[in-house]
Amino acid sequence: MKSSADMITPDYLRNKLRLKNLEVRESFAQKFPEVNKFLTNKGIDLGKIREHSAKIIGAGALTGTLLFAPPGNIKNLPPLSEIISSIKDLAQDSVGDLPQKFLIDVLKSILPERARPLTGDEEKKLEQVFEKVVGVRAKANLEGEHLNTTYGYIGAEQHLARYPGDNINNHPKIPVGDEGMAPGLGAWGYFSRSRENLSKSLEETEKWYAVVQTLYLPDWNKRVKYLREWYKYRKVLIVNTDNGNAVVAAIADSGPAAWTGKHFGGSPEVMEYLGGPRYKKGPVLIFFVDDPENKIPLGPVDYNDVKVIKDYV
Amino acid sequence: MSKIFWDRLIVFEEVEAEIKKVAKTPEEKEELWKEIDEIIHHKLMGCVLEKLPKEHHHEFLQEFEKAPHNEGLFKFLTEKVGEDIEDFLKLETEKLKTELLQLIKGK
Repeated sequence: MKSSADMITPDYLRNKLRLKNLEVRESFAQKFPEVNKFLTNKGIDLGKIREHSAKIIGAGALTGTLLFAPPGNIKNLPPLSEIISSIKDLAQDSVGDLPQKFLIDVLKSILPERARPLTGDEEKKLEQVFEKVVGVRAKANLEGEHLNTTYGYIGAEQHLARYPGDNINNHPKIPVGDEGMAPGLGAWGYFSRSRENLSKSLEETEKWYAVVQTLYLPDWNKRVKYLREWYKYRKVLIVNTDNGNAVVAAIADSGPAAWTGKHFGGSPEVMEYLGGPRYKKGPVLIFFVDDPENKIPLGPVDYNDVKVIKDYV
Repeated sequence: MSKIFWDRLIVFEEVEAEIKKVAKTPEEKEELWKEIDEIIHHKLMGCVLEKLPKEHHHEFLQEFEKAPHNEGLFKFLTEKVGEDIEDFLKLETEKLKTELLQLIKGK
């Protein structure tokens, strides 16, 4: 028997939502004509307020906003020299902590209590920490590109179809709590034209994939051709800020919707590594991996080998 | 980036899951997401303005227009309304979520 979702077509749902949209717009205009006039005079369509917000933030207003933000969400950051000095202590084994414990403590000293877009200063410090403690060169801003936010909530996604005809029966799964297969394709479509053409590298890309909100980038519509290529399978370092688990993933889908309380998504394998089989949502940092020679593999980053830190300090 | 100050109150994961079941392509999915986004903004702004005494509408709108992402607007609203606006909006968003789910599922 078909479920209601099987019977509803995208066109049918789009029409229903559009009707609802018109209804709420009309009701708003009738109840608040003066507000509607104010917004129209300012050239603002309330329904498209995200575009207006993107323009304002893109113009550099964020710093001012952070000053205006509620107290407690801004910290006096430790100076970079202090962070580097403590990394050296860690490398010399004088603190007795595993790098992962050290990372969690450093993140606590840098990050705000509630996830929000970070300032340039906060991001620069984190870049240093990632390179020296995790051993991965990662940048908030790479080649002039920056995500909507580098600190936010990640949510569990489903496996993506890798080629036409791919299904859950022949798709690798995680042992516990697998999310199954997404009904639709990822933002870049199939990974390969056929099962025979699916390379090991593309298999890994789907296994360790990440989702970011490219659709809300302020210049997405203007530079869509370039940005689509730039973001396709772009490697990112994802760090669970609660436990320090880190994974390198490839961007393979766009989302989640802004009204889900989430900012990123992770494949079942990514989520399992970040937080275990029952991990469905949590705060993470996501930075672009700076790897021009494509040497850093996708998958878990085990940085508890102190020798790695010694090489970098 | 793009952000509206009430974003963190809106957690419509079930709505997203239903959309994913229906949309066949990424373009269809994003189009449906945008329709829902537009509904949310009109509904929430309506809720804010109904609660906020009319004499403060203009000041609020001016601040909102300057920085729709500014979470300091919660403080402004709570002061002018005389009760916690976040709690009020959370209740309203729950009602909206139920309404949207009913609409999507065809009930």
